[in-house]
Amino acid sequence: MTAPAADLRRISVGIGQLAVSKDSREVLIAYGLGSCIGVSAHDPGTGVCAMVHILLPASEGKVPQPNEPARFADSGVDALLKQMIAAGASRSRLVLKLAGGAAVLGPGNAEKFKIGERNADAIKERLKLHGLRAAREDLGGTRGRTLELQVASGKTFVRTAASPAIEL
Amino acid sequence: MNGIEEKLVASLSGVAREGALRAGRGLSGLMGEEITIHVPSVRFGTRADACDAVGGAEVIVLGAYLTITGDITGHVMLLFPVEKALQCVDLMCGQAPGTTTEPDELAESAVGELGNIVGSAFVNALADHLNLILHPSPPTVVNDMAIALVQAVHAEVMAQGGEVVMIDTVFEDKGGHASGLLVVAPDPMALPRLREIAA
Repeated sequence: MTAPAADLRRISVGIGQLAVSKDSREVLIAYGLGSCIGVSAHDPGTGVCAMVHILLPASEGKVPQPNEPARFADSGVDALLKQMIAAGASRSRLVLKLAGGAAVLGPGNAEKFKIGERNADAIKERLKLHGLRAAREDLGGTRGRTLELQVASGKTFVRTAASPAIEL
Repeated sequence: MNGIEEKLVASLSGVAREGALRAGRGLSGLMGEEITIHVPSVRFGTRADACDAVGGAEVIVLGAYLTITGDITGHVMLLFPVEKALQCVDLMCGQAPGTTTEPDELAESAVGELGNIVGSAFVNALADHLNLILHPSPPTVVNDMAIALVQAVHAEVMAQGGEVVMIDTVFEDKGGHASGLLVVAPDPMALPRLREIAA
């Protein structure tokens, strides 16, 4: 049974962080994704949910800090899958969704490093390497996003400064 | 933090204080009221908590983003809670308070100019004190969640493979309400030069 909204615990998934939950009273949230990308994962079979908040495309051999296992797309996706499976999820059932990767500093300023776009490409590439792909995505543009994953239902929502939450 | 970083932070803190004073003077003049400046924090790492100064990470802010070019490169961002930004617009345009109710074209233009004046005051103070030639770019108006903007600057710096050093300065009005947050972040390639000056 879904817990009433007031009883829900909001677990903030900060930059570079990874959260895994099977607790139906929890909601995993990556606030204010600019060029960062939030990846949500849900296994409908076991109810295991997880989220990572990825900052940059490639680790280039750097070992992620223990407090920021998902700083980079490559090692972050690997960590997400490893933790999901360790928590009892089945890789074949995973429903993955992506949000973020915007150019919030203005399209002109995004030209320099194209971080949002490169983050999106790097995450998709890493998922492909694992034989996976995102079921849904809300990427690019110029607005920051907040990504929310309700553990009880496995539903994912995205909201921006300009629009209320919509299901992804 | 090692000894060199401590020296860098100490040196930048002094310079940032002067920059903040000049920026605060510019802001006070534009807003027609005295603005209190909080001594800028110079720290290494992610600046998510800097957003508390404008009401929290997810609060919607209006502001301006500038890049610094010249002897060193970096980023400058001035952010206001939307309501405060719109008050500034009315003051700058000589309109009755409450005239501007949403960030329209005129408001965005005024906020861009505000960012230009305050950001440039800070950058010029840095240039004077460090004896560097620095040029602020024309401002880009930003209107989004505070953390999305701060994080995007963090990513720009990190993408160049270095550490993030952010200087955040909080401006408060006479009622004690946060009227703005100024974030300055040098690019990693600027740090050896800054360390050299700090040594």
